[in-house]
Amino acid sequence: MAVKVEHLWKTFQIPHERRTTLFENLVGMMMPRQYETFTVLKDISFEVDEGEFVGIIGDNGSGKSTLLKIIANILRPTKGTVNVKGKMTPFLELGVGFQPDLTVKENIGVYATVMGLSRREIKERRDEVIEFAGLENFEDTKLKNLSSGMQVRLAFSTAIQTKPDVLLVDEVLAVGDMEFQQKCFDVFDRYRKEGVTILFVSHDLGAVRKFCDKTLLLKNGGVVSYGKTNYVIDKYIYKQSEIIAETSAIGTNEERKTRWGNNKIDILGVKFLDKKGMDNSNFISMDSMTVRMLYDSHEKVHAPVFGIAFYWQDIYCYGTNTEFGKYDTGMVFGKGHVDFAIERLPMLTGKFEVTVAIVDSIYRTTYDWHDRLHSFEVHNPTRDQGIFCIEGKWKA
Amino acid sequence: MLTANHIRELYRYRDLILRLAWSDFKLRYKSSALGFFWSLLEPLLMLVVLYVVFSNLMRIQVEYYQLFLLLGIVLWNFLDRGTSMSIYGIIGKPSLVQKVYFPRDILVISTCITALMMTALEFVVLIVFMAVFRVMPEWTAVYFPILFVFEFLIILGLSMALSALNVYFRDVQFIWRLIVQVGFFATPILYPITIFPESVRWIVMLNPIAQIITMMRDCTLYGISPEPSNMAYVAISTLVLLLFGYIVFDRLEPKFAEAI
Repeated sequence: MAVKVEHLWKTFQIPHERRTTLFENLVGMMMPRQYETFTVLKDISFEVDEGEFVGIIGDNGSGKSTLLKIIANILRPTKGTVNVKGKMTPFLELGVGFQPDLTVKENIGVYATVMGLSRREIKERRDEVIEFAGLENFEDTKLKNLSSGMQVRLAFSTAIQTKPDVLLVDEVLAVGDMEFQQKCFDVFDRYRKEGVTILFVSHDLGAVRKFCDKTLLLKNGGVVSYGKTNYVIDKYIYKQSEIIAETSAIGTNEERKTRWGNNKIDILGVKFLDKKGMDNSNFISMDSMTVRMLYDSHEKVHAPVFGIAFYWQDIYCYGTNTEFGKYDTGMVFGKGHVDFAIERLPMLTGKFEVTVAIVDSIYRTTYDWHDRLHSFEVHNPTRDQGIFCIEGKWKA
Repeated sequence: MLTANHIRELYRYRDLILRLAWSDFKLRYKSSALGFFWSLLEPLLMLVVLYVVFSNLMRIQVEYYQLFLLLGIVLWNFLDRGTSMSIYGIIGKPSLVQKVYFPRDILVISTCITALMMTALEFVVLIVFMAVFRVMPEWTAVYFPILFVFEFLIILGLSMALSALNVYFRDVQFIWRLIVQVGFFATPILYPITIFPESVRWIVMLNPIAQIITMMRDCTLYGISPEPSNMAYVAISTLVLLLFGYIVFDRLEPKFAEAI
């Protein structure tokens, strides 16, 4: 067992007014102090085996970073215990202790020592670090005279010289361009092959899915799920959508000027159904989705045309209707629904807006038109880039 | 706490302690053209002013008064500098507290060592002065390093408490400045203890730093070995201060990362 966390609680006490001077403290003694108590972590228990790569995901404020800091021994738990076996190195921030007024060489020395390298190791690897960071001509330049990109490269190439048993990574990858991120991933791969146990906090579900054997899902400071990555991420995405659906329902009540029509037929609403048939607004690319239009026809209408269109930002991505699709809607009266079933959702990532409309068979009268009133989000399970997924295969 | 285990841990971190101390030391002189020359100029200037004022106007009669004064100033400066720098030892390095973990007293110890390095430079000046005035230390100078270690540990003990308290109460730094300034005049630095009547000397000498400065002068400049009772008093008060510092520090340390 490389990391063992048992019944971990963390409470922060945040005073309403913070007293940092003695005067404030003396004056404040007269009045009872008011604290806001935040319980950030609630009874967290989990175990990580040696060599496992574990992702920690959850919304902002769910306690991910606090958990990592407690494991790193930077914060102390209110209750509970954490056991880490072997040498642990936290990557919570790159370039901890960097001094702008010292030279590149000197900074490597300081930072590498902070990261736990011995003097001999530093001496041996210094040239390697400088080369990897591409700073061969800047060895004796003061750090403040380097570009921020160079500084990050220097910090990164120094940090990865450490040989930990347990590595804690917190969103380090959020900084840096694609090339840099790729470098980070390569290093993670290397660490994993060397059998290093890694705990990885990230919002990048794609990266978590790619690297992590297991994933821990936190919500409001509690463990929602811990297990195989794909399972946990699916749970996260499909669970999260319930909350969003609730909040967005309030939003759509005040209808903007994006709705018009003579209301012979009303569109009561649109539902996006996921592969389990549940109403949802978060989908994983290439999963199935069904758009369900609920309508109420106040008169008997013959063969109305139901249309749908998808937008990404202001780009009109795709539009179709029941007539183009040669679907006979027949006589419509009273409440009912029409489904637009998508077997494999071709969008890759992002928020997509949807227009739905009902018009008469010769497109002269609009019964009801919801102009980009509905939306859903698509999540990328791969590391592909872009908005849409083109299912190609590489061949030679 | 200062257990054998903790000292062993500190020993494992010796590279870090020295590296932090050394880089801090370098930083202090890096951006100025004449480097550490400036750091020597300050005590020298002070020495000249005080010498002129006290030997001529106040007519203090002490053998080798220049050296008497210089040694006193250097030793007091060590205390002043060590504690004043250490007060910012924790709050001045938030990223080392919030983003990585190592025993946090390392930050204070390394700052005290930086102050030690700066004081070492001043000792070079002292040695030059002793050569100029042809004062050869006698065998009693062997007590010098022992007493100096005591002073270092007292500074460390004070620094531990001050740096930790300053995380929570930022005016500790201002209060401490006042205490140091009063202390400068209440300690026999400018004058020998003999200017006080016999009956009040013991009050002045309750201050272990006063004891240390007096004994260090005696053993280096005048060939007088320390009284065992005074030595014991200094040793005990050093231990008490060091333990006190560590107790305060250990009480406050767990919440540093949150309070900083």
